[in-house]
Amino acid sequence: MTWEVLAVFLGSSLRLATPLLLAGVGELVSERAGVLNMSVEGMMLTGAFAAAIGSWATGQPLIGLGIGIIAVIPVALIQAVLSNTLRANQIVTGIGINILVLGATTLGYRELIGARSRTEIPGLSMWSPPGLGRIPVFGDALFEQVWLLYAGLAIIAITALVLRYTSFGIAIHAAGAEPRAVDKSGLSVSFIRYCCVLFTGFMSSLGGAFLSIGDIHTFTEGMTRGAGYLAIASVIFGKWKIGGTILACLLFGAATALQFQLPTLGIDVPNALLIMLPYLLALLAVGGLAGRQTAPRALGEPFRR
Amino acid sequence: MSDIRSRYSPLGRALSPSLLISMAAVLAAALIGLGLIFLMQVSVPDAIAAFIDGTIGSPYSLAASINRSIAFALVGIGFVFANRANLVNVGGEGQIAVGGIAATAVALYGGVENLPLGLPYLLPLLAAVLAGAFWGAIAAALKIKAGTNEVISTLLLSFIAVWLLYWTVQSEHLLRKPMTNSATLPESLEIPDATKLPLLTGDYSFPLHIGLPITIVIAIVLGVVLARTLFGLQLRAVGLNPAAASRAGISYARTVLISLAVAGALGGLAGGFMLLGEQYVLKDGFSSGYGFDGLVAGLLARGSIVGVIAAALLFGFLRSGGINMEMVAEVPTALVMVIQGLIVIMLAGAAYFLERRPG
Amino acid sequence: MSTATALATASERVPSEPLLTLQGVTKRFGSLLALSDASLEIRPGEIHCILGENGAGKSTLCNLVFGAHTPDAGTMTFRGRPYRPSGPADALAAGIAMVHQHFSLVHDMTVIDNVVLGQERGIINTKAWARRLEQLGGDYGFALDPFAKIDDLSVGERQRVEIVKCLIREPRLFVLDEPTAVLLPDEIEALLDVCRRVAQKGCGVVLVTHKLAEIKKAADRVTVLRGGRLVARSDHPAQEIDALVRAMIQGELQSLDKSAASALGVAEEDGGGPHRPTPPETPADEVLQINGLTVIDGQGVTRLDNFTLSVGRGEIVGIAGVEGNGQSELGAVLSGMATPTSGHVYVGDIETTELTPKEITATGFAVVPEDRHATGCILELSVAENIFLNRLDTFTSYGFLSRGALTAAAGELMTRFDVRAQTPDVPFSALSGGNQQKAVLARELTLPNLKVLLAAQPTRGLDVGAVAAVYGHIRKACERGAAVLLISSELDELIAVADRIVVLYRGRIMGSCAADPTEREKIGAMMAGQLQ
Repeated sequence: MTWEVLAVFLGSSLRLATPLLLAGVGELVSERAGVLNMSVEGMMLTGAFAAAIGSWATGQPLIGLGIGIIAVIPVALIQAVLSNTLRANQIVTGIGINILVLGATTLGYRELIGARSRTEIPGLSMWSPPGLGRIPVFGDALFEQVWLLYAGLAIIAITALVLRYTSFGIAIHAAGAEPRAVDKSGLSVSFIRYCCVLFTGFMSSLGGAFLSIGDIHTFTEGMTRGAGYLAIASVIFGKWKIGGTILACLLFGAATALQFQLPTLGIDVPNALLIMLPYLLALLAVGGLAGRQTAPRALGEPFRR
Repeated sequence: MSDIRSRYSPLGRALSPSLLISMAAVLAAALIGLGLIFLMQVSVPDAIAAFIDGTIGSPYSLAASINRSIAFALVGIGFVFANRANLVNVGGEGQIAVGGIAATAVALYGGVENLPLGLPYLLPLLAAVLAGAFWGAIAAALKIKAGTNEVISTLLLSFIAVWLLYWTVQSEHLLRKPMTNSATLPESLEIPDATKLPLLTGDYSFPLHIGLPITIVIAIVLGVVLARTLFGLQLRAVGLNPAAASRAGISYARTVLISLAVAGALGGLAGGFMLLGEQYVLKDGFSSGYGFDGLVAGLLARGSIVGVIAAALLFGFLRSGGINMEMVAEVPTALVMVIQGLIVIMLAGAAYFLERRPG
Repeated sequence: MSTATALATASERVPSEPLLTLQGVTKRFGSLLALSDASLEIRPGEIHCILGENGAGKSTLCNLVFGAHTPDAGTMTFRGRPYRPSGPADALAAGIAMVHQHFSLVHDMTVIDNVVLGQERGIINTKAWARRLEQLGGDYGFALDPFAKIDDLSVGERQRVEIVKCLIREPRLFVLDEPTAVLLPDEIEALLDVCRRVAQKGCGVVLVTHKLAEIKKAADRVTVLRGGRLVARSDHPAQEIDALVRAMIQGELQSLDKSAASALGVAEEDGGGPHRPTPPETPADEVLQINGLTVIDGQGVTRLDNFTLSVGRGEIVGIAGVEGNGQSELGAVLSGMATPTSGHVYVGDIETTELTPKEITATGFAVVPEDRHATGCILELSVAENIFLNRLDTFTSYGFLSRGALTAAAGELMTRFDVRAQTPDVPFSALSGGNQQKAVLARELTLPNLKVLLAAQPTRGLDVGAVAAVYGHIRKACERGAAVLLISSELDELIAVADRIVVLYRGRIMGSCAADPTEREKIGAMMAGQLQ
């Protein structure tokens, strides 16, 4: 294995991990506040679809990105209203949204673009941090990525700071661990959870948009293919901490990258098994290979005074 | 008020808020669906006609609709059964897939063709059941050992199973039929006639197979188990308060294992029925969508086995009608998914209004 | 910030403008009338005690004042203006702060983060807050490490965090709901001292309690609740204790079962006494033997340390100690819900250390758990199903449950144990706390081969009548020859009921002595961690 191959592998891993990173950190924030968003998959797909359509219709990927973000708001609101105000079963809600979005985006795609599938859609441009791109061997392959990745990393860094050092971060932590404490301090558990779910929607739509207009430059039906569930698994794997979640996403990204990398190395493993690998890893992760998980105590439970 | 009615009078029970909510959700979703058809500039009467034609337009389509319902019913019953213990099995599609793989493997290569007494199709069915049970048991083991959320684990297992299916039909070392030329499709050989499920009427234009009576028997048996037996109460106890149930001597591990294994087994059986009763050839993606349909039927039923049967019939017909609508009236089947998604969301939200009963 | 100084001049207890008034306040929960036509007033600078036994409506009153519920009828005014809080935020904004019976602290956050919750926006200035905390501690006479994690604190320390959370807001009304139930005797003194200091600054203090001793020590005025109604008032409570007791329980203290009187926190001078024929002098028949039981939890903290104890036939051994010193872990291991790190437990000849709950029950080991809602019952199931929860298979044939037999048998037991419910088939949640506990006792004490009874905090939250019933059942079990292990944080209860007392502190046995009122100080010292 040469350095060039390694560099390409790392670069691919990073690229494939990006949607998971975005959605995973978004979901982390919601789960910390006590909301289990099974609908991450649906939110990602919404972002992917809306961004693709927006970019295709206007020819401007940036506008597409914006439309992707706007489109996810109603989806996130449905999740938020059902989980918080109506105190619905969060798992059932999430699955329902996923089914609805899958159907709606497939329908929408057929109606709007239809037979002209595989249409090339204007995509987001690449970017490389100044200087890093010129490192020999690694520079180009590893650091030349869609700019959305770097924007996402910046958002993730800010999120980590907010969770750790601000009053809102403390409120989020409390809302997931002991919502009564939040209520008795005069804050609104509902408001905190609404904000977090909307944030998850925002990040998930970015992750989805990355898939369609960042990476592949096209939309295919159901293109998220379970990425949303991998994101949820990464939060569990990462024990509800940002650092752990990021590592888990990178790991899943690397596992996905193997699918493209091993054949070039002449290693002959059936493609299906390689595609399966991230899900298998995720299963092992949630199955306790990463140690007993300690979820926020109020995770998945609607709050009632 | 409605509390007393539903408790003491059969009519009251039939009109219980739960049933009304389910019906209202279905109705509302259907109306929205019709609205979408209108927006797609498809003639609504045409669409409806295509729908009806696809469901009961001919004996063949009727049988096909019912056969579909059987698969949904089994997954839905499995869901309700496990849900009594507060376990949410979302891996129906994967369980169907492994069931289908097992059934095909045994039918083609298990040497069962010449056995007497119906064994040529019973043994593959048994293999399907065991495969599904095993798939469900994996999630149970993870839950027992590590407290893993079974929603995530059954879902991930489902993805894994689907890719397992893909591999199975792609690989010549597995079930792919021998490649005679480069255009050979990735699918298995057709199963021998002896292993195909006998039809109820023996008439291929009305291909309703013995899966139907088997499913009805299973529904009755499990319904009775849930309502009248000690095990049914134990399931309920574990679902409501696992710690207290444990202290009272009810084995948490045994209960979780049995519930998820049964749910998986029923999914596997559905896969077996689909292969041995209708499709006869193992193909990639044959289980696609069946898991979710069954799941939604289970949710719609709100814990009642009878409800599952009704919902399964509804979705079976919905899917058949949808397929025909796509072929004839150009309404994509994705519309059916939209309707299902709406139903689930409305049901999820409706629980809030059910709580507000006076007294 | 400076309002405290403005009120400080009203330091003498001169009747002044009332701070909070309630007029005809009524609150219903479903069919239960929790509070009926309550009218009272709280004055600034006073310590006003709300006295009443469990179930009298005290917590409801507090929750209404704090905005957790809204009254069905009646009005409230605060500082002269109509007061209609729709939630805790309104109460806090008005200047009312409350320490609840069940703490709501975020377990894996630090003290300072818990205090800051809801108090600031934007980036937290940790240093400034730490300084404020230390200052507050100085003002009110207690120390608190701002950077300690709640998980690592004792119950008394956690309560201090709750108090700090309130006082840092400089409230005008400070409400405490049954604060002393979880405290050591020394800590109770410290708490009352804090209340006095707070009152001195001009803040009104409402102390909800059912302990007469506290009334004697700290109350300026007292209001008595019984069955949701205000039945008495006193401006000189220390002199009118007997009248207050009469109002609270509608009877005389002397007529009460001596041990039940302990529930009111006034174990009298000669409490205890020979309440049973002959307490065994030497543990002739050791029924329960616990040897060197050690429990180290997942974080490496030793919860139970080399615990060794024997209980003989017909003997009641009390385990004293404040919550959080290993009682839960002891109960969990004994009932089969957890395995110890090392050590052995024997019931008679059978080793039960690693047995399942089912096997342990089969040896004749009965458990009344400290949190019955967690492991003692399933609220959504019926009373009958709960009463026979651990022997449902005796009503089963070929797998089918005979409901008729189950209901009939349950009805019989309910009569015997005075469990009051409409029918045996109503949900368990429909029963009052006292009846629920009686139902649990009905299940546990009817084990065919009853050898040991483990009762953890069995009378917590129960009214005097239910308390007396529980003690009666415990004594009957003794007479049948069962060995009783009674875990309780109520010292008076143990002195009144047990034969001997063993004190648990940080998982270790500090010492043991006879259950005699003369040993009260020694026991109290041991509970606080002082070896004898």
